Amino acid sequence: MNKIKESLLKLWNVLWRPLIAIILGLIVGAVVILIVGYNPISIYATMFQKSFFTVYYLLQSLTRSVPIIVCSLSVIAAWRAGYINLGAEGQMILGGFAATVVAVYMPGPVFLVMIAAILSGMVAGAAYALFAAFIYDKFNVSIVISTLMMNYIANYITTYFITFPLRDPSNSIAIQTREIPVAMHLPRIISNKPFNIGFFIALGLVFLMMFIVSSTKFGYESKMTGLNPVFAQYGGVKKSKVMYSTMALSGAIAACAGMLEIFGVKFRFSEGMFTSTSYAWTGLMAGLISALHPVGAFFSSIFLAGMQVGGQSIQLSTGIPVQVATLIQSTIMLFVSVHLFANFKKRRKKKDVVNLKKAGDK
Amino acid sequence: MDTNFVLTVINSALRSTTPIILAALASAICTRAGVFNVALEGQMLIGSFVGIAVNWFTHSALLSVLAAVAAGGLVGALVAVLQVKYNAADMVVGTSVNLLISALTALLLFIIWGVKGSIKDPSLVSLPKVSLPVISKIPYVSTLFNNLSPLDYLAYVIAIVLYIYLFKTVNGYHMLSVGVKREAAESMGISAIRTRIAAVIISGCLCGFGGVALSMGQVTLFTENMTAGRGYIGMAACNLGQNNPIIIILASIFFGFCDAFASTMQNSIPSQLTQSVPYIATIIALIVFGYRSKQKMKKAVKRGVA
Repeated sequence: MNKIKESLLKLWNVLWRPLIAIILGLIVGAVVILIVGYNPISIYATMFQKSFFTVYYLLQSLTRSVPIIVCSLSVIAAWRAGYINLGAEGQMILGGFAATVVAVYMPGPVFLVMIAAILSGMVAGAAYALFAAFIYDKFNVSIVISTLMMNYIANYITTYFITFPLRDPSNSIAIQTREIPVAMHLPRIISNKPFNIGFFIALGLVFLMMFIVSSTKFGYESKMTGLNPVFAQYGGVKKSKVMYSTMALSGAIAACAGMLEIFGVKFRFSEGMFTSTSYAWTGLMAGLISALHPVGAFFSSIFLAGMQVGGQSIQLSTGIPVQVATLIQSTIMLFVSVHLFANFKKRRKKKDVVNLKKAGDK
Repeated sequence: MDTNFVLTVINSALRSTTPIILAALASAICTRAGVFNVALEGQMLIGSFVGIAVNWFTHSALLSVLAAVAAGGLVGALVAVLQVKYNAADMVVGTSVNLLISALTALLLFIIWGVKGSIKDPSLVSLPKVSLPVISKIPYVSTLFNNLSPLDYLAYVIAIVLYIYLFKTVNGYHMLSVGVKREAAESMGISAIRTRIAAVIISGCLCGFGGVALSMGQVTLFTENMTAGRGYIGMAACNLGQNNPIIIILASIFFGFCDAFASTMQNSIPSQLTQSVPYIATIIALIVFGYRSKQKMKKAVKRGVA
């Protein structure tokens, strides 16, 4: 009984700050909706109704949440170790692109091609992230800047490839590759709904991440590096090894996000499919709102995905741009960041004062 | 190669340099004061947007520029309060502010004009062009300085002023000292928090300035996310310039050239490839710079041993 109470209390301690931040974020969004000239309450009502409370939209939200969940895991892997990987977008673009090319053009039995596609996608994503790690290690180039620049590079270069050499010739309007073989599509749960087993793969990745974070030596070392690099090194953690492996892991996971979207929903690589939907940035927000906790990120990803799906239906029915969802989300993130760290600081200060007093009494 | 063509490219490079110089200076002042400001991108974007919005309502270029600077400063103030006063994590604040401004400008675009994507209108006034009295009569040199707005010149003036402020005034020294060793500066009676907040707000103003130079310089329009990573390129330029305003000018001109090269090459090479040039150049420049400074360090260490 006591244990249940304790864990509930623990849960509450984790949850109350994001909840307050969400309320504040919704208030900011309401102000904007008022300015546009609509009733925020009815807008929010439709928004949430058309994201979670009907089967059709719920499935759509869950489908949309898959790449976001996986991206948030990618962000968590890197940020926990203190490496600010802003390149999830580039890594998922490159991973998805490589996997698509292999899946479309490689001859051979479906099973082997599928494995080759997945491997090449993960290698491409990991290699892209490793390059950023390498130039940081060797030439001290900030990972923040390099990964961000590499987002643009990946986007433009892949767009070049799908516009010219690898373009699907049968469609003269859409800029995209050929469709991957039907046998490679991820199985759907309900026929003719896009919802597929990708969601459960993402859930599996959450558990895997949870395991890596809490029960492996690697997870512990990367956490120590993130908390205090000097201390970690003193304790025998090899800093560059941790950096290379965390960045590779982060890149490979981001690539999985791209692949799940392609093999589960879109079945081909098309122009701007990851930039216009801003999966990577939403994943980043989900990771940060949940203070880099994989399970928290899972739920906040679904929440954020639902808001985007709701935002899209709002855009269709009223014309209010879908960015109102992004606005609310980034406001939530701002409030979370402040609450988190302001409280943390206060508590530490109090502790310091108490310690000082104790020392003085002695 | 045609001489005139080369001159046109240089001219275009000079104009593309302006936003980057201003962003880099903004990054420099923050770094010098010991703040890691990632929100430069958002600060610029709001400047671009507010510039066009005020332009639409007042048809005055001067008011647009002033409003853009003020808007940038306002976002800077938000960043300053969260990051300096409440000690929120710099990366979190930076990325959320960038996303926030990106969404906010898209929404305002819809609220004010009812459009999505971009706004361009013949009634928008562009910045006045400076015609230099003597130079405009010299045949080749005139192409070089063709169509430059006052902002393009002002960027260099600001760089020099910032240099003088940081390295030649007492106040500037205080700011540097806060960046070098906060505790030592505070023991001298300098308020680190106030200095840092001031630095971030100034960076916001500079970025707002850079943003309006972007939306009202070469072209007069606003598109969603039109800054396209220039805030981050500014950070790279600041890095290359070692936080020194004068060297930053040179680094920014390099990036301006990459920009101009990308846009002039669009006719002969597919634009998807040329568009990636500035970003590739940024990474290469940072690698070369990092390699050289490591070599220098090694040499210095060797000399120390010998």
